[in-house]
Amino acid sequence: MTKEELKAALEKAFPGLVPASQAVGDYLTLRLPDAAQLLPVVTCLKETLGFEYLDMVTATDWLGPVNLDGFIREPNFNVFLPEGATAQAEAPKKTAGVEYRDAIELVWCLSNLKGRIKVFLKLDLPRGGGKAPSLVGHYKAADWQERELFDLFGVRFDGHPNLVKILTPDFTVGHPLRKDYVHQKDRFD
Amino acid sequence: MSSTQPLPHGLKSDQLFVNLGPQHPSTHGVLRVGLTIEGEIVVKAVPDVGYLHRGTEKLAELRGYPQCVVISDRWDYLSAMNNNLMFCLAAEKLLKVEVPERAQHLRVVMCELNRIASHLLFFGTYGIDLGAFTAFLHAFREREMVLDLFEMSCGARLTYNYIRLGGVMKDVDAAWLAKCREFIEFFKPRLKEYDDLLSFNPIFLDRTKGVGRISAKQAVAWALSGPNLRGSGVSYDARKFEPYCGYEKYDFEVPVGKDGDCWDRYYCRVLEMHQSVRIIEAALGMMAEGPVMGKGVAKVPKPPPGEAYAHVEGARGDLGCHLVADGNASPYRMHIRAPSFINLAILQEMLVGERMSDVIAILGSIDIVLGEVDR
Repeated sequence: MTKEELKAALEKAFPGLVPASQAVGDYLTLRLPDAAQLLPVVTCLKETLGFEYLDMVTATDWLGPVNLDGFIREPNFNVFLPEGATAQAEAPKKTAGVEYRDAIELVWCLSNLKGRIKVFLKLDLPRGGGKAPSLVGHYKAADWQERELFDLFGVRFDGHPNLVKILTPDFTVGHPLRKDYVHQKDRFD
Repeated sequence: MSSTQPLPHGLKSDQLFVNLGPQHPSTHGVLRVGLTIEGEIVVKAVPDVGYLHRGTEKLAELRGYPQCVVISDRWDYLSAMNNNLMFCLAAEKLLKVEVPERAQHLRVVMCELNRIASHLLFFGTYGIDLGAFTAFLHAFREREMVLDLFEMSCGARLTYNYIRLGGVMKDVDAAWLAKCREFIEFFKPRLKEYDDLLSFNPIFLDRTKGVGRISAKQAVAWALSGPNLRGSGVSYDARKFEPYCGYEKYDFEVPVGKDGDCWDRYYCRVLEMHQSVRIIEAALGMMAEGPVMGKGVAKVPKPPPGEAYAHVEGARGDLGCHLVADGNASPYRMHIRAPSFINLAILQEMLVGERMSDVIAILGSIDIVLGEVDR
């Protein structure tokens, strides 16, 4: 199966699917119009198109450049300089033309192992809330990866059997990979 | 044995909670598994990870791209070359840099040497997990030679930072190539020795054959990768799926297992070492003089806005990097598809119904590196 054939098959079955404005490299990247479309699209990919392997679930917070208060140290990369010395690196700035928005973009990567093809699905969720359906029913591999996103981004997955923190300690307040995360001082600082 | 089964003399049985780790030699780091056992049988297993979480994906958002290569060493520190390569491939896709021929060959040689070193560590420690100490000494003798080679080429023995954006840090000299060939010649007969020593040792076979079976369907559902997936008979290897660094030019096989038990996963790794030797020999033969660093890589690279995904076949599985750039000197978002993390999740399902004494055998056969699980 080639990229074009896959694209045509998916767009015929789901007219709402559009190519994402920012594709992941050369891979076929499609944007889902809303969260309700995810399960039908994934079911179709898995059952009829042979995408049995959930490669990866990830997310990007598109709020804007990262808040420097989210880091424990000053952005002073030269460890030989004393704490509080002038930052040597420039803080990330907004670039014109990049679609910053109030959304967390979820990215799923599915593979067809026999057909040697990958497809990326993207879905925007509002940063304030919004839920995505869980893929645990389709792919067991989604279990821990969705827990990771819940932990680091605060994304909630509907239908996940055990949506609890996985990587950060119990006392961590907030979701560290959100761009507006502010580090709360704890006894380890 | 179930608790409803009547016991003699009016005795009662009950479930027992056993805490395995986080400080336990066989967990290879800081992994905790909460086991509920009934008699000798595990009825529930809850792996608990995160003890080594350093937030490297967040750190990368304030580090330049060359600094992220340094971070990448710290995920899977047993095959740091593959980690370097995975990040560099993703960043090179964003920067649109061409990597020269000699650097490609050097990358392949280094990654395959690192795969051998990593599998040797697995081979040795897996023996120890199951009570065979001798194999460990043999494995570490050979691993030491690989680490010496790395030390000669880049000065480091564990966290190399050798593969850089656009190529490799430094060319190797004739003495290095001679020493590498010497190692290959020394190593080839050792593989036969390993089989005699451990692979077909009857006690080892008893401990691993038929233990911790994963069916092909289960392995795909849990998205296992690397020898864990291939041990179950699914032939998926990133080097064949989407060849990188010119892997399509090399003639090698992808060993697969049949039953998906601990022994198959173990033996897949041993066979992979045979294939790595083949690849290294071919790469050394093809290597021609030339530059080892591509042109046009800035000291502080600022890739144009875009997204890239690159994946390599690491020692533990399909190692991927999803990079988002927004025109700044540091990545806007970096996500690592960590094979150890994804491979480990299956533990909660596959340990159920196994014997308590087999838990270590199964855990060892998954071959995790906690630095990569927690990132």
